[in-house]
Amino acid sequence: MKLDTKQIVGISIGLLGLISPFFFQLEGLSDAGHVALGIFFLAAAYWMLEPFPIYATSVLVIFLQVILLSQQGFLFPESTAQYTPDDYTAFIGTLASPIIILFLGGFVLADAAVKYDLDRNLTRILLSPFGKKPGSIVLGLMVVTALLSAFMSNTATTAMMMTVILPIMARIGKTDPLRIGLSLCIPFAANIGGIATPIGTPPNAVVIGALSQQGINIPFGEWMILATPLVVVALLFTWFLLIKMFKPEAESIEIDMSGKFNTSGNAILLYIAFAATVLFWVTESFHSVKSAIIALIPVVFLTLSGVVTKEDIRKLPWEVLWLVAGGISLGISMKSTGLAEWIVGSIEWSSFGTISLLVVFAGVSVLMSNFLSNTVTATLLIPLAVSLATSGVAGEGFNLIIVSLVIGVSASMAMMLPISTPPNAIAMSTGTIQTSNMAKAGISVGIFGIILVVIYALFYWPFILN
Amino acid sequence: MDRKIFILVVEDELEVMEALVNDLEQFEGYFPIESANSSEEAKQVVEDIYAAGNEIGLVLCDHVMPGQNGVDFLIELQTNNQQHNAKKVLVTGQAGLEDTIQAINNAQLDHYIAKPWTKEQLEEVVTAQLTNYIMAQRYNPMQYMMILDSVRLLEYMRTHKITDH
Repeated sequence: MKLDTKQIVGISIGLLGLISPFFFQLEGLSDAGHVALGIFFLAAAYWMLEPFPIYATSVLVIFLQVILLSQQGFLFPESTAQYTPDDYTAFIGTLASPIIILFLGGFVLADAAVKYDLDRNLTRILLSPFGKKPGSIVLGLMVVTALLSAFMSNTATTAMMMTVILPIMARIGKTDPLRIGLSLCIPFAANIGGIATPIGTPPNAVVIGALSQQGINIPFGEWMILATPLVVVALLFTWFLLIKMFKPEAESIEIDMSGKFNTSGNAILLYIAFAATVLFWVTESFHSVKSAIIALIPVVFLTLSGVVTKEDIRKLPWEVLWLVAGGISLGISMKSTGLAEWIVGSIEWSSFGTISLLVVFAGVSVLMSNFLSNTVTATLLIPLAVSLATSGVAGEGFNLIIVSLVIGVSASMAMMLPISTPPNAIAMSTGTIQTSNMAKAGISVGIFGIILVVIYALFYWPFILN
Repeated sequence: MDRKIFILVVEDELEVMEALVNDLEQFEGYFPIESANSSEEAKQVVEDIYAAGNEIGLVLCDHVMPGQNGVDFLIELQTNNQQHNAKKVLVTGQAGLEDTIQAINNAQLDHYIAKPWTKEQLEEVVTAQLTNYIMAQRYNPMQYMMILDSVRLLEYMRTHKITDH
């Protein structure tokens, strides 16, 4: 392994961060809290500067907590007055926490759906009512993209939908602004669509994981009730924006999507598994079987029937699960060592009003995730928000669930740059758009997103949650 | 990416070489082109490219040349641990059945272009082979969307679990 200068700088900053709390006695922070702060610094530096892949940092975070902060670690074998160390299984157990199992179920379903072309065939069916007018085609593409990305990875959805629009691009004029609108509508809709369900995108998992550590369970259907109305509005706004910003010249466009549903036995099994799982997920509130348990249905059913094979299992995106687990486990020690509370306690929060706090969290989340991974953004911000809400220093009305949602949802509203999300990067790579096109539209969506999230946090979410 | 992926053209006749390199112009910005007049020179070029930490993605090779012939050169390339990943294309009018069989069985020849070629045909083959190379090496497909087969690269991203993070 060869390191370049940028990596060496990143690694050094992280290591400095890890050891720095040992050289200062921070008032009111336990010894264990100092260690946790060091690990937090290291994680933040490595996740933000990426000298290592972000999933590798996540495993490192779990490992450091086990050897430094757990009961089985070097530093705190005994409970002290200030700190009762967690068993090491609490940290490694995050790798099989309910939200991880929920994602596993989603991965298996999505994987099988791609294998049997369910995503492409659904697209074909769902697009046909949208006709031939450029405006309505763009809307149709966005609706379908958002719908698919709510259940599949945003990135895979974008890759598939780009294959749908490439033939359209070839038929419209080289200078028609519609080309830009088409290229942007897919990644933007995928980013936004991911918000709609718990399994839509990893930041949602971070939110749900953090809340479940606080003993709050958000059922699948309830998440959808909270998030989907926001997704619809954001989608409509983005559609309107793209159509206005990049006015189509073409009068009508043809989409020829020939093909038919796979009707092999395995494909039929997949359709049944998909429909049944989603049905049970969205009705969780009625039967109260937890979504993570339901997530085992496709895993069991599709592996027993051989629809998903050993090779398919090996190719699942395990690193995403590691990434989320690392984030959840970081939250454990930030809480149990008193670090999170200490950070929160060192700022005079009551001088902020509830609204300005929500705006700040939404704004910081959108800003950070434009440059960092959305999951990392949520992971770094949520522990602060959680302790802010649970400690009560921010005053009444600062609700734990709401502020967590604000951060998680805002993290998906970042789409200003090619590096903001993998879907943006894919759209950019086709060469039909300039970074400036993306930035112009992406900034507008980001600002609208912040406003929208704050409005929902003030009016709609409290109404649903109470 | 820091590693450069080269296209190597091996051809003894100067005019033919020039024509080939000309027809490959559109790839040059992404895949630098190196040329050699003989198998012996080609081996030196290959060595230099790998020594500099770069690699060869595609070899376009004539068959009948003074010294070692093209098929034997490709077979030698195939036996090298590092270099056998390169996609191999014979561009020739004179390889007999025997040589061609040799090339397919022992050099894992990827494509055969009969002289004279057309520009479109050459571009098509090169695009397909380099796309295969990028996918086989699991390189980030996004960097090559504008030059190679974008539909196949997107399909690769869809099915290979390139995910959100």
